[in-house]
Amino acid sequence: MLLKRHVPMLIVIGVGLLTLFGHFINNESIQAFVDKDALQWFDIIASFAIFLGALNMLKLQLMKIIKKQKNWQYSILAVIGFAFAIFSGFFYRGANFITLSDIKDGKLTIVSEIIAEELNESNSFAIQTALEMSQNKFEIDKIFMTVESAKRFMKKLSPFVETIDLQSKPWGAHVQTKGSLFYWMFINIITPLGATMFALLAFFVASASYRAFRIRNFEATLLLVAGIILMLGRVPIGGLIPWWAVSILIMFGIGAIAAPFIIERTILFGIVGGGIIIIIITGTFMGWNQNPPDLLSVPIIQDWIFAYPTMAGSRALMIGIALGIVATSFRIIIGLDKSFLGDK
Amino acid sequence: MEAIKRLFILLGSLDRRIIFLIVGLSVLIPLLKPEWVRLPIRPRPESQIVFDEINKLNEGDKVLLSFEYGPSTKPEIHPMSIAILKHLYSKNIQVYGFALWPDGNFMSTEAFSEVSDDYEKKYGVDYVNMGFKPGAEAVVKGIAADIRALYTVDLKGTFINDIPMMKDVFNIEDFDFVFSLSAGFPGSTEWVQYACDPKNIPFSTGCTSIQVTDILPYVENGQIKGILAGMPGAAEYESLVDAELRKMDIAVKPGKASSMMAAQSIAHVVIVLFIIFGNITYFITRKKNGKDKI
Repeated sequence: MLLKRHVPMLIVIGVGLLTLFGHFINNESIQAFVDKDALQWFDIIASFAIFLGALNMLKLQLMKIIKKQKNWQYSILAVIGFAFAIFSGFFYRGANFITLSDIKDGKLTIVSEIIAEELNESNSFAIQTALEMSQNKFEIDKIFMTVESAKRFMKKLSPFVETIDLQSKPWGAHVQTKGSLFYWMFINIITPLGATMFALLAFFVASASYRAFRIRNFEATLLLVAGIILMLGRVPIGGLIPWWAVSILIMFGIGAIAAPFIIERTILFGIVGGGIIIIIITGTFMGWNQNPPDLLSVPIIQDWIFAYPTMAGSRALMIGIALGIVATSFRIIIGLDKSFLGDK
Repeated sequence: MEAIKRLFILLGSLDRRIIFLIVGLSVLIPLLKPEWVRLPIRPRPESQIVFDEINKLNEGDKVLLSFEYGPSTKPEIHPMSIAILKHLYSKNIQVYGFALWPDGNFMSTEAFSEVSDDYEKKYGVDYVNMGFKPGAEAVVKGIAADIRALYTVDLKGTFINDIPMMKDVFNIEDFDFVFSLSAGFPGSTEWVQYACDPKNIPFSTGCTSIQVTDILPYVENGQIKGILAGMPGAAEYESLVDAELRKMDIAVKPGKASSMMAAQSIAHVVIVLFIIFGNITYFITRKKNGKDKI
């Protein structure tokens, strides 16, 4: 009980108070704790949390496979993916590179041609210049995923070069080295998968808006009208929509807002149709073809929605969240909230 | 009249596969044939502010560029990274890459390698990539307090003290500007709250469209100097940078965001049309059936 509940609570309360008061007390050691030590603690704990999260994910997926729970087949893919990432990150560097020195006399051109062919470069002159300029060792700008492929290439060069070395990028850096196994995995597997998942959103948004975005009540109508204006106003095509088209859209919007209150459709159509005709006639006589009013420009209406209603909503949310954080933090610091111990 | 009604009812009850096909085509065709749809890109005030703030920087100034996005948001944010790097390099500003997301490492590596050679920039002298550290807001606070307490080596494994451009850099106060390429948490908000606002360092951001509403209050308050909002923001910034590069007689490679704006515009229009058709059908059938039958 003491170790499981009281000690963790004391740590949380102590660290919470110290961090909070660190902002108000002008003491060097407290400031140093808040600005440096506490952050390093956090950094270390966060690193451990990644391990814990990975192990937890692995455990969950393995349990799913063992118990043959629903869709367990997908878990096999998850475990294989996990194992491959661990393998390419921790056990197999796959980031080999070749350095050359002491090219035999008169063989500079042929060496640069062989390198250019390997790098798929049509012009070997730039490589030849780089070889001439290199004072010590020349590193070929290509990463070989396997030692065998590197050795095959070294064999091609060996008749013309005195010293050829095969080296690997250091552990850790190999992950970010273009051409390494891990980099290949990220660019060729994770990137297209991530992009595909996100791209699917466009289709689902289109289908969902088509089926669910209905003028059922006043609030839904407001949302719909604002949504349409934002969708058109955010893209360049919004600026090309002429004033008369915007006025028709506005009248449709007014009609949509009024629709729940006017059951008789003829009256509603009359209001919308009459409004459109009046605006178009007025606009034609007022010269809006040359100088349309701001009210009938989609990007300007969109900017107004962002600057006022959206901003007000965002600020209200932000202040509400901030107050919630203050209240929850205070409850944790004084020991009232024990949810971090697993209490409900 | 009945025929029109029937047509709208038909349009309002399309199979989802047809909708997917139409949306797919509306994105694909402008991407494959951008010359068919040429749309003028006019920079908004928020994008112009970002450009002006960065343009105010002088040669040799230091800019912290933070990569907080991954493959899923790459089409929106990566063009911003490229345009920002072009702008910074053209002004001979030193760039320090950091990442709050693990994926950010790959994005930064790609962005740096895509632009640095064109501007003949040397690693460690003109730009450096410090990479990712776990800890979200704690990392931001750590960079604000003491970079060396968090980072001992850069992404390539080189010790910080061996990197020439890290010589005089100890914390956030040594930077002249901070720019976050953000797609969520941790991102722009954390940079404002834990580093740039408390230390009074000019800060700006480029983020996904979905984040804009969360970040706008900081922009309106002046805590963030302008914002590049989603792909339109990226396209606007690209156009501003391209114009600046032309002024400086630097060869301009067209950016990706501008060419993708046509696809996004058409897709938005198609979705809006679907919504309008769906509602007209709903309106027609509402009274006819007495309840929602769609």
